Amino acid sequence: MMPHSNQIPLFVETIKSIKETIITNIVLTGQVPAPTFEEAQRAEMLLERFSTAGIECAADGMGNPVGIIKGKDPGKPPLFVVAHLDTVVNRDVDHNYTVKKNTIIGPGIMDNSVGIGVLASLPDIVRVLDLSFASDIVLAGVVRSIGKGNLEGIRFLLDHWRTPIRGAVCIEGHKLGRISYFSEGLKRCEIECGVTPGAGLKHKSPPNAILVLNEVINQILELRLPQRPLTRVVIGRIRGGTKHGTAALEARLSLEIQSDHADMVTAVCTDIQDIVAGLAHEYHVHLRMKNISEQLPSRLRFSHPLVKATVEVMKRLKLEPVALPSESELSAFLSRNIPAVTLGITYGEESFAPELSKIRIEPMFRGIAQIVGVMLAIDDGVCDEPALD
Amino acid sequence: MNRPWIETNTLHHSAFSDIGALVKAKEKKGLTISLCLPTLNEEKTIAKEIVILKSELVSRHPLIDEIVVVDSGSEDNTLGEAAAYGARTYVADDILPDLERFSGKGENLWKALYVTEGDILVYLDADIKNIHPRFVYGLVGPLITTETIKFSKAFYDRPIALDEKKVVASGGGRVTELVVRPLFSLFFPELAQLLQPLSGEYAGYRSVFEKIPFPIGYGIETGMILDIYRKWGLGVMAQVDLDKRVHRNQDTKALGRMAFTVMKTFFDRIEKLGRITLTRRLFEEMIQFVLVNNEHVPDIHTMVLKERPPMVEIAAYQRKFSQQK
Repeated sequence: MMPHSNQIPLFVETIKSIKETIITNIVLTGQVPAPTFEEAQRAEMLLERFSTAGIECAADGMGNPVGIIKGKDPGKPPLFVVAHLDTVVNRDVDHNYTVKKNTIIGPGIMDNSVGIGVLASLPDIVRVLDLSFASDIVLAGVVRSIGKGNLEGIRFLLDHWRTPIRGAVCIEGHKLGRISYFSEGLKRCEIECGVTPGAGLKHKSPPNAILVLNEVINQILELRLPQRPLTRVVIGRIRGGTKHGTAALEARLSLEIQSDHADMVTAVCTDIQDIVAGLAHEYHVHLRMKNISEQLPSRLRFSHPLVKATVEVMKRLKLEPVALPSESELSAFLSRNIPAVTLGITYGEESFAPELSKIRIEPMFRGIAQIVGVMLAIDDGVCDEPALD
Repeated sequence: MNRPWIETNTLHHSAFSDIGALVKAKEKKGLTISLCLPTLNEEKTIAKEIVILKSELVSRHPLIDEIVVVDSGSEDNTLGEAAAYGARTYVADDILPDLERFSGKGENLWKALYVTEGDILVYLDADIKNIHPRFVYGLVGPLITTETIKFSKAFYDRPIALDEKKVVASGGGRVTELVVRPLFSLFFPELAQLLQPLSGEYAGYRSVFEKIPFPIGYGIETGMILDIYRKWGLGVMAQVDLDKRVHRNQDTKALGRMAFTVMKTFFDRIEKLGRITLTRRLFEEMIQFVLVNNEHVPDIHTMVLKERPPMVEIAAYQRKFSQQK
């Protein structure tokens, strides 16, 4: 049993006693727009919140805002707590949040303003819980994480960190009860189709770009993908055209190839490139596939002490752990042999209209207690065994 | 030669961002501060204002001593949301219930004087979407750190260039620029230096607020400025740049009714000051038109100018505060 496991359920009410501070941090950081590659203002706000909480903080060369809760033992390597700072929400969306008795509503709240707000609150949470750690706790809001960001922020931070790292907790807003200790290999791609009607007869009746992409999808669906190693192609988004009555001259398809094995990701990617090349030739259109980002599969064993400790913490808090793969910062840690888990903070609803996305406030306090519990477990040494699978 | 008021008494909130230092100055002077939020159907914004101000200015830095919401009878859950985050909530009609009942923002502000205890009162509208602690520390900063300023008023981003080096926020909303500024320029040019006289955020000493009458409706800001100016002069006032404020926009018809009340308040005050003589009473109906089935139909709003006397003249208030002393 972990040294602090009996204490952890008691954390919940104490954390709740500073709910105004936690909500304030979520709102003040979340209301600053931060689409990927445009996170500077939100990074500044997070630094301001770290500074207000009285911890040492600065931005690194990539613009990742980093704060440090000082530990007691300078000889111990630090542990990291990270949350991605960027969102998929455009700058022109009204980012003003609404706080109600039980919910916070606003764009990007689940992914990942609540994570950033909790990160900003950890200095106050550690203080109110009267905890001290042997290790320094490095709090980082990482930029350029999602989509085309391709985890550049966390990679830069880890590549330039000069000491070993004991272990890490990655925070995601959604969903309380998730535990991620493995990340799949994946490749994100975008297929663009452009039709240029020429003056000559070649395009007397030019093809419809959306229908060309539809044919790409049909051929992808005909690919035989193995169950082992489990491999999938997720068709994520399709956009194109200008208006109802005009055939689309351009269209764009976003997809993700996921697999437990890196070789399968490469093989499927090659298959899709062949499909694209064939259809470009057949339809006489400009059709090309671009790689947006990729990551290699990596994992901890379920029996790794960090995973076991995390499950114990969750059970102490009456949470049913659900194992899910993570596509975010986790893979950057695991690929560098740094034990890490990704945890969710609360429940909520993502809305197609981003300003209507919401989270529930009350479950958040258990979610935060869980994060603190895992931080304590890392500080107690659960990550100090050397080998990873 | 004396520098004009706009240069000496126009400040920026950042001058007071060291909240710890403000708290020390406040404690040294033995002051207490009450925050009052007047509300009417503000359930979407009220909780956020309370949460952020309580977190930063009560828990983290004890600058505010109490947060009070005075409501005009909201039909939504404004009071429930406010109470959930620890504000003390009141329905205006329940305060000093023996008095005749009125409804309006000015009424709420006036009654807040009775239910609060602070030496300084901060009044903030409850519909500020981008609420930030600067809205409070920016306003109380001049009151705490100087001996002369007794009333401070907010203004916000509407930038114009004064010269090549200096860009300041200037200009008010439509009612300010089309009604109040022309009236001030005609009768009290000194007051035209106030960049946004109708802004809903201000702070002042109780000893000032309790001695002036409070119009109950939209005329509250205009009446307050004219009364403070008349009693103590422009030197006790400061205006503070709070950067940007995001709030609901009102439609032109609503602004028209607001302008009507502001003008009535203004004429009432200047008549009392002997600056003009009205040969007959002003009418009390604002006549607007709406298009119904291709016909212009009058839409008449009766707006009687009512105001509360200085709170210090109310016996219950005298009893409450004399007992405390």
